[in-house]
Amino acid sequence: MNWPQFSPVAFTVAFCCAYGLAFAMNSPLFIYYPLHGDFTWGTQVLKGVGPPMLWYGFLSDALIAGAVAAVCIPGRLANKWLINLVWVFPIATMAVCIFLLRRLFQ
Amino acid sequence: MITTLLIIHGLIGVALLGALTHQAVSAMRRPSKRTGSFVDRYTGVNQKTFTATVVALYVLGLILGGVIYPNYRLNVRIPFEEMRLGWAVGLFELKEHFAGIGLGVLPVYAYSWSSQTADRSNERTRRILTILLAAIVWWDFLIGHVLNNLRGLA
Repeated sequence: MNWPQFSPVAFTVAFCCAYGLAFAMNSPLFIYYPLHGDFTWGTQVLKGVGPPMLWYGFLSDALIAGAVAAVCIPGRLANKWLINLVWVFPIATMAVCIFLLRRLFQ
Repeated sequence: MITTLLIIHGLIGVALLGALTHQAVSAMRRPSKRTGSFVDRYTGVNQKTFTATVVALYVLGLILGGVIYPNYRLNVRIPFEEMRLGWAVGLFELKEHFAGIGLGVLPVYAYSWSSQTADRSNERTRRILTILLAAIVWWDFLIGHVLNNLRGLA
């Protein structure tokens, strides 16, 4: 498998940072309302259209950030500096999620 | 229809659990003198061969989960909230977020196992990423099972 112009290390780092930030700042790219299949861009929550779903928007934020970083940051650079520490980013993002959701367990 | 998708989602989870657990346990075990025991046979596999399967199953499982998710939001989460089962909502929220984060880990996981990089220099990273993905899949599988026991989708 060749990775000529795509840095998987940069992707994962940017993906995790963007996901954690989007969740912490409650700013999905879009919101989906499954009751009638409505979408809205940004963070404004509509009323009277059923419960909102933000997860798809968080994932989209993170995928875009990851893709941009993976293409823009040279793979050799990312691999050299981050390959040994790349696992810290997803674990830290998971910790952020646990912290932000702690109110549900009280 | 949604029940069928949920069962397929669960079966994909089982296959993914098997592949990732096999790979993670095998990656953790240090090479030693083989005795032919069950553990030796279980861990004595070519670890790289699981990678493509894991990536494919993970993506497929996540897509199916994404398709089922609106049904959960409308028919399961609202009753959970009415029953004041905040912890159950919280467990599912963690499941979805961990699954999303796992998606972000997949490229570097595949890269760390790819032929050019699967040498000793990345062994620690490769091992941690594999264990992390296995932990995410175990968590998601068990929480999905517990929540489905509390209130199913159908």
